[in-house]
Amino acid sequence: MSDSSVSVSLPSGPDGKKRRVTYFYEPTIGDYYYGQGHPMKPHRIRMAHNLIVSYNLHNLMEINRPFPAGPADIQKFHSDDYVDFLSSVSPESLQDHNHNRNLKRFNVGEDCPVFDGLFDFCQSSAGGSIGAAVKLNRKDADIALNWAGGLHHAKKCEASGFCYVNDIVLGILELLKIHQRVLYVDIDVHHGDGVEEAFFTTDRVMTVSFHKFGDFFPGTGHLKDIGVMGGKYYALNVPLNDGIDDESFQSLFQPIIKKVMDVYQPEVVVLQCGADSLSGDRLGCFNLSVKGHADCLRFFRSFNVPLMVLGGGGYTIRNVARCWCYETAVAVGVEPDNKLPYNEYYEYFGPDYTLHVPPSNMENLNSPKDLEKMRNILLEQLSRIEHAPSVQFQERPPDTEVPEAEEEDIDQRSRSRLWDGEYFASEDDDDQSLDEGQTPRLKSPNLDDQSLVDSGSRDIDMD
Amino acid sequence: MAGWSILGNGSAFDYFEILQHLQKNGFYLDFDLNSLKMSNDGGVVGGGSGKDNKLRDMFDQILSVFMKEISVRENILPLPVLLGDGQSVDLFKLFWVVREKGGFDLVSKFGRWGSVADEIGLESGVASSLKLFYFKYLDALDRWLQTVLRDKGISIGECDRNLGLLPVGLKSQLKDFLCNISAQGRISEEQRKNNKVLSSKGAHNLAELASVEKCIVDDDEEVAIYPTELGSVEKCVVDDDKDVVILDKNVVKEEVYFRKRKRETLSGMLNWVKEIAKNPSDAAIAKLAEIYKQNGYGVKELLGMVLLARDALFQSQICWTEEKENPIWQKKQKMHPSLYEDEVDVDHLSMERQRCSPRILSQRNCQMDPHHDSSYLDISASSPEEIDSDQSANPDDGDVRFPKPVPVGPLSQADIPEWTGVATESDPKWLGTRVWPLMTGEQSSLTETISIGKGRQDSCFCRLPGSVDCVRFHIAENRMKLNSELGVVFYTWRFHLMGEEVSLSWTEDEENKFKSIVRLNPFSQEKSFWNQLCRCFRTKSWKSLVNYYFNVFVLRRRTYQNRVTPSNIDSDDDELEFGSLSNGYGHESVKLAASTSITCVQNTQCTNLE
Repeated sequence: MSDSSVSVSLPSGPDGKKRRVTYFYEPTIGDYYYGQGHPMKPHRIRMAHNLIVSYNLHNLMEINRPFPAGPADIQKFHSDDYVDFLSSVSPESLQDHNHNRNLKRFNVGEDCPVFDGLFDFCQSSAGGSIGAAVKLNRKDADIALNWAGGLHHAKKCEASGFCYVNDIVLGILELLKIHQRVLYVDIDVHHGDGVEEAFFTTDRVMTVSFHKFGDFFPGTGHLKDIGVMGGKYYALNVPLNDGIDDESFQSLFQPIIKKVMDVYQPEVVVLQCGADSLSGDRLGCFNLSVKGHADCLRFFRSFNVPLMVLGGGGYTIRNVARCWCYETAVAVGVEPDNKLPYNEYYEYFGPDYTLHVPPSNMENLNSPKDLEKMRNILLEQLSRIEHAPSVQFQERPPDTEVPEAEEEDIDQRSRSRLWDGEYFASEDDDDQSLDEGQTPRLKSPNLDDQSLVDSGSRDIDMD
Repeated sequence: MAGWSILGNGSAFDYFEILQHLQKNGFYLDFDLNSLKMSNDGGVVGGGSGKDNKLRDMFDQILSVFMKEISVRENILPLPVLLGDGQSVDLFKLFWVVREKGGFDLVSKFGRWGSVADEIGLESGVASSLKLFYFKYLDALDRWLQTVLRDKGISIGECDRNLGLLPVGLKSQLKDFLCNISAQGRISEEQRKNNKVLSSKGAHNLAELASVEKCIVDDDEEVAIYPTELGSVEKCVVDDDKDVVILDKNVVKEEVYFRKRKRETLSGMLNWVKEIAKNPSDAAIAKLAEIYKQNGYGVKELLGMVLLARDALFQSQICWTEEKENPIWQKKQKMHPSLYEDEVDVDHLSMERQRCSPRILSQRNCQMDPHHDSSYLDISASSPEEIDSDQSANPDDGDVRFPKPVPVGPLSQADIPEWTGVATESDPKWLGTRVWPLMTGEQSSLTETISIGKGRQDSCFCRLPGSVDCVRFHIAENRMKLNSELGVVFYTWRFHLMGEEVSLSWTEDEENKFKSIVRLNPFSQEKSFWNQLCRCFRTKSWKSLVNYYFNVFVLRRRTYQNRVTPSNIDSDDDELEFGSLSNGYGHESVKLAASTSITCVQNTQCTNLE
């Protein structure tokens, strides 16, 4: 799989094995509770964290507690009145007539209930994703994780599908401060409608969503939804049917993502790892194994591009914890044992107590013919990007426009901030050569000497 | 008012004529042309000039059409708009005053609704009502107009203070919108029946519209429509600079908008319009658009209007809720309750799709017809008959072919600054609090790195490997190790509030009470055990109850399930299938089943730990 698709190199160099990983975890996240019978359980994030630490993966990461995003930060995307409402509503204030009216207006109620600590929960989730973005912006990390993020249904002015604040959009807005083009990829079983909608008219963010389509929430994500105006061709939807397995999924995912990376050349990628696409999910209907799910992350990791990895859906919580723990391991480059270490939630994983569970034997309703047809349609769609007139990145701005002095400043600052974890020592050389080869602010990925070098040495550890 | 003369004198764009023309050809039929004609003839009505009235008429009609259009699926809003005290609000004035002040967002941002009220002759006390009215009635229209205008390169700023200076382009845009509405033909049968303005010949004319078989536009900007027998559009020839574009049947989309009954008669022209609208990237259409750009924009060009319709299709979407009631245009009414509360019509399927959760829908996805479900792949053409029958067989599965369009507008998209090439500094506060690795002192990283990713040992020396106490012992062991390794971080990450150890702060009585309350209030009977729990454990916080539930209660039930019913461990749906285990359920039975002497093993271990 050697090609010239590698557009952006990581500060840690092109070595596919080593990545500096930062992980955001809010210790109180597990005690938020949507209510009895509600499938969304923040507890799963705590379970995942427990498993991660039990596998000793924390020793390969920097782990931060997120700074809670304030109302003003959340208003960078969401409308003022909606945020005002979210920040003031509580189970006790529900009787208030004024709130009652707003509940309907903002679609808060049954699916997106008002629960104790709702806004704090949103603040942590959003703070983690913005934090992840800032980490990447400062080149402090190659991969930034926030399993409490990925709430992709939230809209500008309303809650939807268990999501209130769209941490992804907020994170991407932060990334856009430094990066010209951001790629968003969504492997939740549900369409990533909130993110797609937020960036439907721009070419600075490309959204790609793989999801169940047809008589399924939220009802959007048709193959033919490709973006409008400036964003035309910069939204991609891969509608799938029930029972898709690892092999079928990757047969679409890899060629499409490779092409996306080729033509769009994002400077940073945001991957929403909704775990409801796993086999046996309470709400989902796909048949992916944990490995198959994590292969998506592994594939992105093989490109030398900064990655933000977020959570999302996932309603069979033991599998969610399995999945996100395994994906954390993939991020830090470890293959954990299948036998789970003893941990506080050990009994949740019985009776087999393993990390991986075999997918079910459910029928795959995606025929190879359908998949191939769709792949061709999508690849064809993608090839239009190259010829779309509005794409600015084909012109490389002259280097002279960037003041030399400031450039050095930025380099030095970011280097001094590097977390010099023992595990990832010896990256300085790559770092330096990279900085010399490129202007850090206006990256022009096309036909860049450095990227050619990178593509040669890149290794993809896919099977 | 200088602006009005543009409208009035713009003979090339005579509104009335156009409408008449459109009606003659079976296009827009809802208009009461006579009333329009009166004002057009210069009859002075009320305080304004004829032109004022004309503009106002036009605005009213457009608004009416627009609202009817969105009300096909959405809420129907009453007119005229009345304030709580019975005063009516002049939407026309409201629209222009707000626009003049920079639009809804700006007015809201700077709190100018009071001055808007002043300007349209109301007290400033009604400011918030006006805001609501604007949002409900006019915002969508405004957004649509703005988008269209922006596409045409006309800035809103060109509208000046005296309310009337309409950009010339706007007028033609409005007409296009009318055309668009009628071309889509989405006005439902029911509405048509109830609408007084509409004549009975409506249906007939609509049928006529569909019978358009050829639509030839030449460079003299003449529209020639040849009605022939019923059928689909076979050819559309554009003759411009010898540039001929032929859209054959393959291009005609299979989709049909009408769901209530079969309407093959409309499938021609309408489908072609929709094809353009839904697939603006189509090469042939791009060519058409190109031609029209070159030619300059002419209102009489039927195709030109149709091309603009595609923009409207994308942009006229807003999400209001739905009601079954039809509008009675002239009926006096107090402020409608739907203005205060968006009533959700739960029966309505599309509503459910729009708003309901993954939960509800996923429960309905069990028996999917694979053939039908893969139809989203059929983007190449198939025969209209086939689709029609399919459509009637699955009246509810509109989503597959009519996916929810993505709304576009200031209420939907994020505000993204233009890329300037200059990076903006991020606030370092977002880095949060670094918890790990610890700043001070080196961790025993050497020993830890060895065990990274390691699972549990294959075997142990416990008396009954795999038993509850064996597992408890190893968990406690692991916990102790973790505690010493993490140090203070153990508590920062609240490991002391994870797992069964949480039960230590509970007395046995409390635990039993908790258990029985949960058991007696199963979710399947729509009972909430949480209310009961809160009442019974007044000394405990909500958080600690939730914490106990996940860390102890569910965990113990899982412990039980793993050993007693290992084939049925679907316990994440915890609340759903409870009670079936009744007395035999829970920790006690595990103890009985597994061993005899573990009563306090756990507690001693945990005590040792602390």
